Amino acid sequence: MGANRVVRGVRIEHVCGDPTLSSDGDRELNLRIVMTALRALTTRVDGPTIFDPADTEMREVAGVA
Amino acid sequence: MRVIHYVNQFFGGIGGEDHANEPPRLVEGPVGPGRALAAALGKRGTVVATIICGDNYSVERPDDTNAFVLDATRKHKPNVIVAGPAFDAGRYGLACGAVCQIAREAGIPAVTAMVPDNAGIAVYRRHMICLPTGSNVAGMPEIMQRMAEMSVRLASGASLGSAAAEGYVPTGHRKDVMLDKTGAERSVEMLLARIRGAPVQSEIVIRDYDHVPPTPPLKTLKGVKVGIVTSGGLVPKGNPDRIPAARAEAYSRYDIGSMPELETGKWESIHGGYGHKYVNEHDPNYVVPLRSLRALERRGEIGSIYPWYLATVGNQTAVNEARKMGRQIASEFKAAGVGACVLIPT
Repeated sequence: MGANRVVRGVRIEHVCGDPTLSSDGDRELNLRIVMTALRALTTRVDGPTIFDPADTEMREVAGVA
Repeated sequence: MRVIHYVNQFFGGIGGEDHANEPPRLVEGPVGPGRALAAALGKRGTVVATIICGDNYSVERPDDTNAFVLDATRKHKPNVIVAGPAFDAGRYGLACGAVCQIAREAGIPAVTAMVPDNAGIAVYRRHMICLPTGSNVAGMPEIMQRMAEMSVRLASGASLGSAAAEGYVPTGHRKDVMLDKTGAERSVEMLLARIRGAPVQSEIVIRDYDHVPPTPPLKTLKGVKVGIVTSGGLVPKGNPDRIPAARAEAYSRYDIGSMPELETGKWESIHGGYGHKYVNEHDPNYVVPLRSLRALERRGEIGSIYPWYLATVGNQTAVNEARKMGRQIASEFKAAGVGACVLIPT
């Protein structure tokens, strides 16, 4: 569909988080997904590419929760 | 067979771009390329009248132009309307598409012709029979021959076969047909043909979407202003801009300039295509992740956040409307010095 940098979300109804997690866990996942988007923006791609939040290295996660 | 022909101011012999605001006029008989159409029709039909209209006028005042076209049909009672060919002219292509749609709605068959990537096809493909052309005007006699043949077919009331069989631009409509073999048999035959290396034609043509060349990566996001866009339909509670739940044609912007995060209960998704419970009752940051972006802003991992987020509903949105919004968003961001964008769809 023309999008070249795609981050894998959780579900359509809660793309950037997971309400079944604890509040802290949910906030950390939200941050992880956003950080994955930033990683995508700084990564060279040749065509549509999926970036998985599980592969994103996290630092100072406590800042959000 | 009585034919009305529609042309723009250029092909109608009125003038070039400086006459693009000309209101429509009705002339008896064929004009300009209409003579090639008359020749191609021969004894089978007569070009009884020609509508000539400026390119700007037709796209800027569609209602007036449509009314004029309908008046002309009442006066001349055509069996078919021929519009163009518009070749690669965008406004002319849009005008020809509009003429075909209004004719069809009035029960009069119509045919036009233009290059396959003319904007007229993107907008009107579902409402018109359009023959593909090249962009070279020298192809006029051959195109007029094809338009004449199609006019005769349409005016006779014969039902057309598929776009591939008849040579018109696919309209996006699917028709039910009865075949002797089941889908299972046909798909196995296709599979075997593929294994043999024989040509295979899918029964369902999937529309080919844009292939966008990827933008080069940013070296860093430090110091970069980040814009937030969502097609998840997140708006202030009450939907002040009345964004529709489907088929949106515009986006809105909402102030987040001083907010640390989107507060639950103050925002809602009005998107018509997914369940809102989690976004509306649990956390709107699922769709506009402001809280996390603020944390990254505080840490200096991004420069700043554009003080409005942009929202629309991505639900049954026409590709050309989405493209239009994309262009508008890109120019808004460029003007504001936004260097990166996160777009959250749902």
